[in-house]
Amino acid sequence: MKKLISALLVLTMLLSLVALGEGEPAVPAINEITLGTDFQDVSAEIKILTNRTDIVDTVYKGYAEQFMELYPNIKVTYEGITDYEESLRLRLTTGDWGDICFIPTSVQKAQLGNYFIPVGSFDDLDPIYNFVSDKSYDGTVYGIANGGTADGVLYNKRIWAEAGITEVPSTPEEFLEDLQIIKDKTDAIPLYTNFAAGWTMGAWDAYIWVSATGDPDFHSNIVHMANPFSDRGDQTGPYAVYYTLYEAVKRGLIEDDPMSTDWESSKGRLNRGEIATMVLGSWAVAQMQDAGDTPEDVGYMPFPITVNGERFAGAGGNYAYGINKNASTDNQIASLLYVKWLVEESPMFADEQSIPALKDAPMPDVLADFQGVTLLANNAAPAGEEDLFDQVNNESEVGLNNDDYPDCMILEAALTGSQTLEDLMGEWNEKWSRAQDSLGVEVNQ
Amino acid sequence: MSKSATSQAAQRKSAMSSLLGGGKTNRILVIVTFMFIPLLLLAVFTYIPFLEMVRFSFFNRTYLDEGTFVGWKNYIDVFSRKDIFGSLIVSVYYMGGAVVQLALALFFASLMVFKAKGSSIYKACMFFPYLICGIAVGFIFKFFYAHGYVLDSILGLFGIPLEDCPLWLQNQNINNIALVATSVWRYTGQNMVLFLGAMMSVDNELYEAASLDGAGRWQQFKYIILPSIKTIIVLNLILSISGSLSAFEPPYVITNGTMGTGTYFVIMNRIAHENQKVGLACAMAIVLLGIIVLCTIGQNLFFKYVFKDGSEDDVTRAERKAAQKAAKLARRGGARVHG
Repeated sequence: MKKLISALLVLTMLLSLVALGEGEPAVPAINEITLGTDFQDVSAEIKILTNRTDIVDTVYKGYAEQFMELYPNIKVTYEGITDYEESLRLRLTTGDWGDICFIPTSVQKAQLGNYFIPVGSFDDLDPIYNFVSDKSYDGTVYGIANGGTADGVLYNKRIWAEAGITEVPSTPEEFLEDLQIIKDKTDAIPLYTNFAAGWTMGAWDAYIWVSATGDPDFHSNIVHMANPFSDRGDQTGPYAVYYTLYEAVKRGLIEDDPMSTDWESSKGRLNRGEIATMVLGSWAVAQMQDAGDTPEDVGYMPFPITVNGERFAGAGGNYAYGINKNASTDNQIASLLYVKWLVEESPMFADEQSIPALKDAPMPDVLADFQGVTLLANNAAPAGEEDLFDQVNNESEVGLNNDDYPDCMILEAALTGSQTLEDLMGEWNEKWSRAQDSLGVEVNQ
Repeated sequence: MSKSATSQAAQRKSAMSSLLGGGKTNRILVIVTFMFIPLLLLAVFTYIPFLEMVRFSFFNRTYLDEGTFVGWKNYIDVFSRKDIFGSLIVSVYYMGGAVVQLALALFFASLMVFKAKGSSIYKACMFFPYLICGIAVGFIFKFFYAHGYVLDSILGLFGIPLEDCPLWLQNQNINNIALVATSVWRYTGQNMVLFLGAMMSVDNELYEAASLDGAGRWQQFKYIILPSIKTIIVLNLILSISGSLSAFEPPYVITNGTMGTGTYFVIMNRIAHENQKVGLACAMAIVLLGIIVLCTIGQNLFFKYVFKDGSEDDVTRAERKAAQKAAKLARRGGARVHG
């Protein structure tokens, strides 16, 4: 009976959608379907693209099998892609790439509708899922984030304890002093930058938003700010984050030869205590724990900045699932079912120790150190300015969250002494205002 | 049976040739039909994309977004931005490397042309690095130069302590040289094989005659080998110079363009991909093409006027004209015979 009603409901909904007009997809919103009951008759073969080549044939395949027990008519296959961003940038334009993918960061918000189907309206989905604003444009949501991460600092608990540090640092100066103590008292490398990998330097950009300002609107306001990278004088803001990096390098608190770092082996070295600290998002925690025999030593603390006596940490969505606009309707519905199952019922977030996609699901253990720290995600930009940040950011070539090279320059300048941080940040300010000028962005003094 | 088949074939052939050789239009038709596919491929995969790139270079656009027309702004940026045009300085290291590489290749090739023992194994070993893909070479040398790894250990065997070893990739006085060395390592063997091929085509009797006249190895090299392989040397030089202007893999893989190793290509890649300024990157590509064309013409002129003597392909213009005329006559005559 219930089945019949829901089927009827769906039918009327579909009909009304069809009646609504041409171009409107006959696929329901993600919050309108009930898993396990709706669309049992849909049969489709869907392909899902992922960047996680390390677990695509093991963990992800297991998820697909669990789902296929629930929906036997739907066949889910995964395709792992190394060099994900680059390949997807090219494959998306062909339209024939599969059914579900992690939306690459290079797709700007205004273009989401060209490649992906809408999964619901922002007002409906925002109370249900975390990080919805990341992939929404004009009130429509195009992707559901695959959980999320908090921004903080990885550290080896044993080494920090051996150095006699009992309290996690709360300002850049305290952090640098602690690193100095570690250098003096232990054999560990106080801070490992992983410079050679490149993207690990770009990771520093993640801390300049909520973690450094406590302001969830900072990300959308920065496009209107004059000289956002200047020293605020109170150890907050973007300057404080880059100051931490610059000073750590200048005071010799990092590895001997940053050019010779190796990402893969660094995981085990942090686990064993040869490395005391690494600045990376919480997604890295699980990898560090898996990389050695002492997973219990791997800890995660918030970035050492205090704003007006309060601690904040940025939290953000992982890659979001997007569904191919050019796929057949059956495939789109099957894809939507699988995405819903993944983000709501799969054991994925417990496995990866990340912030779950559902707002009311429990937090992972690893964020226990964040007791009393306010976790905030960046707010969506106001209507009409959705891609303004991307534009200013790209035009200026400061490359926040995007280009690793400017962050590498900070380390380079500190290491060779070629530039002071004030000069470097002055250059960034200059580039930023030139981009604001050329795009005609209003600047608040 | 077989006889009739041959005669039939011969008949068919003559019918065919009378049909095809019937007039100029028919000949053009045949040429066009046979050329169509190669020309189509050439147009679709080379010229149309290239023209598109030229068009892109006048736009302020990203990969996915059409963008707006900005005129010459991208070109002005290429020349006025120090981080872009200044990066060509790094290419000077690679040009220096190219010269060293050619000298080495020439040296090894001349050693091998005089029947050395086990020369084919030696040749294979020298050529092998060229077969490894550039990215893999990058990773090999990333570990080779890493502090405390291969190179430092080798130096350690000679009694140089680790503390005295320079940081090969970090020290800005030597890191570009270190990177250039990787590309010399990779391409020397290939250049050598090219040289060797040219040297092999020199008549052996010349060497015999020369050694009968009492010429030593150096004299043989100077007066027989060098003049006869001049063309291939110039070709290799041109290839190496344009190669050094567009050096990409070593700095991209090994240092990611940091610590002053960013070549023009690395910067171009960053502007196109990280910053999504496709228009500017296209303008950079076209400016680089212009520079390479200029360098090639410059080198050609240089070799033409500076080393005019002794080169086989320095035929005077009158001679060349006469030769062309003769060739034309021969072709026409040939056609008539077939007809």
